[in-house]
Amino acid sequence: MASGEKRYLIVGASAAGMAAAEAIRSIDKSGPVTVFSDESDPPYFRPLIPFLISGKKEAADMALIGQGPYRGAGIDVRLNSKVESIDSRARTVELKSGEKVEFDRLLIATGSRPYVPPEIEGTGAEGVFTLRTLADARSAAGRVGRTTRAVMLGGGILNLKASFALLERGIKVTLIVQSPQVLSQLMEPGDAALIRDALNKAGLEIETGVSASRILSGSAGVRGVLLDDGREIVCETVCIGKGVRPNAAFADSESIHVDSGIVVDRFTASSAESVYAAGDVAVTVDPVTGGRIVTALWTNAVEMGRCAGLNMAGRPTAYGGTFGILNATQVAGVSFVSMGIVHTSGLDYETHVHESRGAYRKLVFSPDGKRLMGVLLLGDISRAGLYRFVIRERMPVEKIKSQIINHTLHYGHFLRSR
Amino acid sequence: MTEPREIFVRLDRCQGCHTCELACAVAHSKSKSLYGAMAEQPRPRHRVYVEAVHPNTPVPVLCRHCEDAPCMHACIAGAIGRNEEGAVITRADKCIGCWTCVMVCPYGVVGRQLEEHKAYRCDRCEGRETPACVAACPTKALVYRTVRDFSSDVRKTASTAMAGPQGG
Repeated sequence: MASGEKRYLIVGASAAGMAAAEAIRSIDKSGPVTVFSDESDPPYFRPLIPFLISGKKEAADMALIGQGPYRGAGIDVRLNSKVESIDSRARTVELKSGEKVEFDRLLIATGSRPYVPPEIEGTGAEGVFTLRTLADARSAAGRVGRTTRAVMLGGGILNLKASFALLERGIKVTLIVQSPQVLSQLMEPGDAALIRDALNKAGLEIETGVSASRILSGSAGVRGVLLDDGREIVCETVCIGKGVRPNAAFADSESIHVDSGIVVDRFTASSAESVYAAGDVAVTVDPVTGGRIVTALWTNAVEMGRCAGLNMAGRPTAYGGTFGILNATQVAGVSFVSMGIVHTSGLDYETHVHESRGAYRKLVFSPDGKRLMGVLLLGDISRAGLYRFVIRERMPVEKIKSQIINHTLHYGHFLRSR
Repeated sequence: MTEPREIFVRLDRCQGCHTCELACAVAHSKSKSLYGAMAEQPRPRHRVYVEAVHPNTPVPVLCRHCEDAPCMHACIAGAIGRNEEGAVITRADKCIGCWTCVMVCPYGVVGRQLEEHKAYRCDRCEGRETPACVAACPTKALVYRTVRDFSSDVRKTASTAMAGPQGG
């Protein structure tokens, strides 16, 4: 290695880590970039893993390197390499194998891990899954043949996608949702009627307002779930989709400020010199609310990872933060986009709701009506990106407000609304 | 590598005739002919949109193939990449129809083909010398130029206008 070259280490080979590696390479062509992954699969598009269960894709179809903006050139990805600890003063990380590796710039991009509620008994049984990694998806897929019914705990997007993957394999699926409605993180109960109908029609059985108290198992693994209302559902597979928690425990908390995740500044730097963090593990700022947030979204992780990579390579780049809610997807034939502030019950926002056959939208403005704060679109999500722009840039909406409310906004209005 | 060309819009020239939309849809049909395209299922889609701004100003809008393309980085399936000419391309075989690109495009120019559950957008007519919309535009409101040539044209036009009929 030539003297003066920076050695880059990245812990975590998913969205944030790989995006950072590419960003570093876009500026620094020669400093060695090493990415440690504790998984045995080469980097892959994590959101695709439900397709392994449905059988629509194989692991190779999900590979990250060589797709989209990921070239992988000059990036050394080391699999099966779990980083156990960081010494930010000595600028070393220690692997599980005992190997110590020096760095000049370090990125912590360890992501998050599934949250398994401790109050549910029996979650260690065979046939209980959390879908986080390709390995998890393989195990779940391996049990499909022995499963007549699966019970999904949690009504978020991941569990809905997993539910459909299982339905496609001919398995009966019951979704257990503690909240009064599915997708409660992304919309209010009153907003979800369209999706709920579609899910019911698609054959998903949904129980809301209940939670699992115990997973029952025998010699063949899971045999049922006991609910807190006393009912028992016979099933052979359980998937837990109750959110995630940042993987920040291994960071040396003496010099790295950890508050649920790793706290970073505007330039994605942690409190320790030359140590950065990005993705699900990092605590960032929501420009809409101004509050600190951790998010668990591929898209956010990539954006933040790229920003961290540029900073590490010596190009100061401010990270603008991200919305706590920024989701697009399609479930049971219903497209939807949810972003910014969409939970408004009991709050002072100016909201405009419009409902028609097959479509629903809710536009949330600040109490004074001058700024757009959030948008929920179901059915017709066309040109949704314009709203994201309006929210993020805190644009005065006076001249385009009727177009926003009527969902007729297009880019021409930005050019000609002066 | 030679400097790639881009599709530029000269707003003052657009008459709102929508010919570009028609040409775009035909260029993205299987038959590549107007009559064939009309009969095709799924219906061929256009990727340039002549929007109207009150009271009567047409504004053609199409993918800018952003240098820092938000759609490409946001894609959760690796379906969006850049081709050798610098155009941002959505690969239908990789697209899973999650619509994340629709959510992040600040121009609102990513379409959804619901029949096949795929996102689509301008591909600058890969393989054609001139994009169909540009070739079809009767008022030359759409031009296919390098950034350098286009800005030089703009400067020349402006200086000619300022110099007046004497020609400077």
